[in-house]
Amino acid sequence: MAILSHHHNKYPLRSLQHVPTCHHQRRSHTRVTCSVTTTSTKPSSNPDQLIVEPGLDRLVSTPPPLVTPTSSPLLNDPSLQSTWSHRAWVATGCTTVMISLAKSMVAAANSHIWLEPMLAGYIGYILADLGSGVYHWGIDNYGDASTPIFGSQIEAFQGHHKWPWTITRRQFANNLHSLARVITFTVLPLDILCHDPTVQGLVGVCSGCIMFSQQFHAWAHGTKSKLPPPVVALQDAGVLVSRSQHGAHHRPPYNNNYCIVSGIWNEILDKHKVFEALEMVLFFKLGVRPRSWSEPNSDWIEETETHSQVTVH
Amino acid sequence: MATLTLPKHSFSSLLPSQTPRTPSSQSLSIVSKSSQSHFYGLKLSNSSSLPIPSSTPAKTSIVAKVSKGQVPPSFTLKDQDGKTVSLSKFKGKPVVVYFYPADETPGCTKQACAFRDSYEKFKKAGAEVVGISGDDSSSHKAFAKKYRLPFTLLSDEGNKVRKEWGVPSDLFGTLPGRETYVLDKKGVVQLVYNNQFQPEKHIDETLKLLQSL
Repeated sequence: MAILSHHHNKYPLRSLQHVPTCHHQRRSHTRVTCSVTTTSTKPSSNPDQLIVEPGLDRLVSTPPPLVTPTSSPLLNDPSLQSTWSHRAWVATGCTTVMISLAKSMVAAANSHIWLEPMLAGYIGYILADLGSGVYHWGIDNYGDASTPIFGSQIEAFQGHHKWPWTITRRQFANNLHSLARVITFTVLPLDILCHDPTVQGLVGVCSGCIMFSQQFHAWAHGTKSKLPPPVVALQDAGVLVSRSQHGAHHRPPYNNNYCIVSGIWNEILDKHKVFEALEMVLFFKLGVRPRSWSEPNSDWIEETETHSQVTVH
Repeated sequence: MATLTLPKHSFSSLLPSQTPRTPSSQSLSIVSKSSQSHFYGLKLSNSSSLPIPSSTPAKTSIVAKVSKGQVPPSFTLKDQDGKTVSLSKFKGKPVVVYFYPADETPGCTKQACAFRDSYEKFKKAGAEVVGISGDDSSSHKAFAKKYRLPFTLLSDEGNKVRKEWGVPSDLFGTLPGRETYVLDKKGVVQLVYNNQFQPEKHIDETLKLLQSL
């Protein structure tokens, strides 16, 4: 992942008292967004299946300018709303996933095999969760807004940590379009080239879970009373990442519970300190420190005030 | 990832160990019984750390490795204030020498703070605590200051002492190992404890041993 930053001291210890005064801004074009609205391509969350196609996004959309997080987004902020471009990408993403699943089912029916494609689909679901965790860990800990390809994603994730509730206000296509774009480019060739029902079963389910992981993520930030009952049931059953599990990720030391599809990998990865081991290896081999090793600065700490009027002393 | 080594065989034991310590091993590494040899041991080991059959192996290398019952090689290193400190300085009292990967990493911070929090117990047992890593004196000074560490941190630049003592690496050589030695008043190793990812356990194990000395 070419998102490594050598700015070890980028996030020095800072007291909240030193947060500069923020005033509510109206209609500001400098408002932070939690979604990826630029040309970043999300790399493969599942290294076995999805391949990063860097630069392809630039052929198809013009990115809005990168913004530096300054103040809390307003609830009816236009950056939280879906545009037709967002909807188009979600439509294409969904189409490629549906084609993959349909091809799997048709080929399975023709070959009279069901178990292998279904098992492959299940494995795809499991792998998607693992992939989401690895990607999330990488983005949360390394790089910054200026990192090539991933810069806007990294910035978006940092904005999300500062204003986690924003994701629940984001409209559907706005939330998913970035992932949908990556899925479109990676799954479409597989749709065309691959005819094996088992492989398509894995690809279809894995890519679908990855594409919708942002929705599962948004639901994990929801409140029980406001979520649809089937969603709550799926969260409670462990099929989708639970609110409590993901909530732990948003509390210090911000170094656990990275997986956001079902969360099934979280316990194993955290118990066996897999990410800590990876962080140590990267530190000794490349000299880069992950953000989770340092005390979070004010850009990272969740802003709980809706009207941010923190005065500098 | 914890291993506890038991005493080695006598001098005739330039024999390969039955279950050589591997970094990822969770099991007790049962080495054959020791003599009262006071030399830091030499053992023949396969470079790939696989068990060696009794017939002569194709490739062998001699590595120095500090184990229980042995006197480790002496060292003279700089502490966090730039002063040189020798191991011989601690003769006459028990000393806990703990090798750790690096300052300001999560596990090492936990370990250092755990030693700090139990330091009174170590003092009560009459023991000194010495931490060793490859970081330089200024790094140690900042680390000790930030976490108010009351004990000595030594700078093993180039990891020379680490290699001399045979501290094993973890994760296929990518991580410096986390290994603690307890030396008695005579400077003989009485405990070797290795655990990369549960750093606080080093304190428990060493205190347990010290209380029995």
